[in-house]
Amino acid sequence: MSARLALGLSRLAPLLLLLAAWQAASAAGLLPRRVLPPFAEVAAALWALIASGELWPHTVASLTRAGIGFAVAVAAGIALGLLMARIRSVQRAVEPILLLVYPVPKPALIPLFMIWLGIGDFSKITVIALACLVPVVIATFNGARGVDEFLLWSARARGTSERALLWRVVLPAALPQIAAGVRTAIAVAIIVLVSSEFISSDAGLGFLIFSYGGVGADDAMLAVVIFLALLGYFLDRAYVGLLRRYMAWHAFAQH
Amino acid sequence: MPSPSTEREGLGALANRVVPVALVLLAWELVTRAHWVNPYVFPPVTEILLRWGRLFVDGTVYLPLWDTLWRSLAGLGAAIAVGVPLGLLMGRVRWAEWFFQPLFSFGFPLPKIALIPLYVHWFGLFHLSKVMLIFTDCLFPIVLFTYHGAKGVSPVYVWSAQSRGTGRVRMLWRVVLPLSAASIYDGVQVAVVVAVLVAVVSEMVSGGGGLGQLMIRAYRYGDVNTAFAALLTISVLGFALYKAAAWLRERLLFWHVGEA
Amino acid sequence: MGEPCLDLRAVAMRYGRGPEAVEALASIDLAVDEHEFVTIVGPSGCGKSTLLYLVGGFLQPSAGTIRLRGKPIAGPGPDRGIVFQRYSLFPWLTVRGNIAYGLAEKGTPRRERDRIVSELVRLVHLEGFEERYPRELSGGMQQRVALAQTLACQPDILLMDEPFGALDAQTRRILQDELRRIWRRDMKTVLFVTHDVEEAVALGNRIVVMAARPGRIKEVFHRGFEVPEGGEFDAIPEFTALKLRVWRSVKEEVEAARA
Repeated sequence: MSARLALGLSRLAPLLLLLAAWQAASAAGLLPRRVLPPFAEVAAALWALIASGELWPHTVASLTRAGIGFAVAVAAGIALGLLMARIRSVQRAVEPILLLVYPVPKPALIPLFMIWLGIGDFSKITVIALACLVPVVIATFNGARGVDEFLLWSARARGTSERALLWRVVLPAALPQIAAGVRTAIAVAIIVLVSSEFISSDAGLGFLIFSYGGVGADDAMLAVVIFLALLGYFLDRAYVGLLRRYMAWHAFAQH
Repeated sequence: MPSPSTEREGLGALANRVVPVALVLLAWELVTRAHWVNPYVFPPVTEILLRWGRLFVDGTVYLPLWDTLWRSLAGLGAAIAVGVPLGLLMGRVRWAEWFFQPLFSFGFPLPKIALIPLYVHWFGLFHLSKVMLIFTDCLFPIVLFTYHGAKGVSPVYVWSAQSRGTGRVRMLWRVVLPLSAASIYDGVQVAVVVAVLVAVVSEMVSGGGGLGQLMIRAYRYGDVNTAFAALLTISVLGFALYKAAAWLRERLLFWHVGEA
Repeated sequence: MGEPCLDLRAVAMRYGRGPEAVEALASIDLAVDEHEFVTIVGPSGCGKSTLLYLVGGFLQPSAGTIRLRGKPIAGPGPDRGIVFQRYSLFPWLTVRGNIAYGLAEKGTPRRERDRIVSELVRLVHLEGFEERYPRELSGGMQQRVALAQTLACQPDILLMDEPFGALDAQTRRILQDELRRIWRRDMKTVLFVTHDVEEAVALGNRIVVMAARPGRIKEVFHRGFEVPEGGEFDAIPEFTALKLRVWRSVKEEVEAARA
């Protein structure tokens, strides 16, 4: 345990060094306040935002949007990816559409969806879901198609029926790839969320960053940016932790 | 990127690919022509395509297209110029790895576009803030992929070059770089997509020209046709850059065998 | 002698159609008796694995019939237990889960399942590794699990597709020895494919040499003597002599393939 702690500290050290350098440069007058406020002030602003409770409704608004879009995308994406892998005609019908949708930078869909579905949460959630869908479908399809034939033979020779094969073998064998696709989708969800809140919103962390930036409250703006970064980081860590715990059979990369 | 099956297929399979897309487009056209939906919200496909064509004929699209294109390429180029040497250094030099590796792996999944307001504040509304943000965002995949490539170089290659008299610095360029090339290119492939995305989002959020601004302006004026035409242009640009990167990879890495 | 356990009559396998067709197997006749251990050895491309996959029911022959205890084969089934060189195990199941897989598919009650699994774990010497996942095991241990998984289904015949081909030489000898011990214990019928002449002679009562292009049976050898336990077969002169005869037969085919 202490070895893990030491490793964690050694990995944290560069970040702390960087923050210390920031603070020192501000204190020495090398970093003018209008370029970057001192780190201590940003930290104080973050604490104030948390203590006053101002941050929470925005966090809840953002997480709700991202969470719903993400959850819909994961459920639909896995189902669609498996269908594509098992049924030839579905694969042929969906592939051209995926090829068309893949290169579109998904945040560019935000204005159109706002025209169609209004400027509220529904359009944001739809774009987030669409953006997250693509990596999940592709990962599931590739994972399910790439299942080793010997594994399928092995299961058949031990009495698994063709219908049970999907649940007993194809899905578990594709899980590592699906898990990687879902991890990409988490990052995508946050990017599209922030973009959509920048473009038009009256609540959410993106909105908060944008409005503090607009009135020149740089310390508060940076505080929310840091909070968002921490949120994204811990979501990713929590997900990887879940995978380590429930998919111990697969060797995951360390980072 | 999904790759279409390369095996030879019959006419029925081809129809299977084309018909669903065609049906969707046809239904869209019919529903909108019949005025079952508000034509200002859902214009017919043909109207959108006409507008798209007109943007090219009257020249409206060229300046925004050029802005978005060169910003993306400038930011990407700068990220390659800085990121590849840094990644190689991290892969071969202990202290560089200790300092930079945690920073880059921590920062990789974070949404760098949240820095748009800060970059506007530092670098202004126009080219510089956008190029810098694209540079920042592209740096992460390029550094990390280069680092993993350099880290994965078998020591046997290094020993064999050492015994033939290659020095420490030359080793990076003569041995480690070529052996990491495949991984570096995977990073570039990721970064190309990121570059166009960041360019468009920053143009939508903070203006300053480009296809993103063309699109958001059309949206504000309620001009759905132009918004759609801008989206099509953005998509084609993204697709073309991705394909160009893949094409370049084939040319540059022809000697590479193994999992490409 | 009665009816053979496995009976192949005029089995042929062609890939493709017309002038481009490849004849992988041409008219194979082979009968394997109950409790017999038959090894098939031959150069790569002689269709020995294809033959095994046909018996497994994964591929369908272009001509001929395959019967197991009198019944024609229709698709894969748990009456034929197969061990591949790799990928027999499910990476998301523990050793216990893998061994119990076929029993669970059959609907064997929990307690009975546990009893069979712990018996098999003891048989293949994997005590203490029951809760490990395949990736945590060495190649040799993985193949022990695969063998136990196959035995758990109580198949009429064991089909083995170069099961020790990916192992180092020492581990291979030890596993050969264990397989022979298990075979002596419950006298399962075994059809074992290998490209290793020594392995073929050390394991098989009957050694079938195959020739390539098209795949066919070239020569059959009988091993009329017992192989000592502990993998110390080099000590007996009969073994060396038989190994040499089989090797000469295989060598002709390897050289013919190169010409």
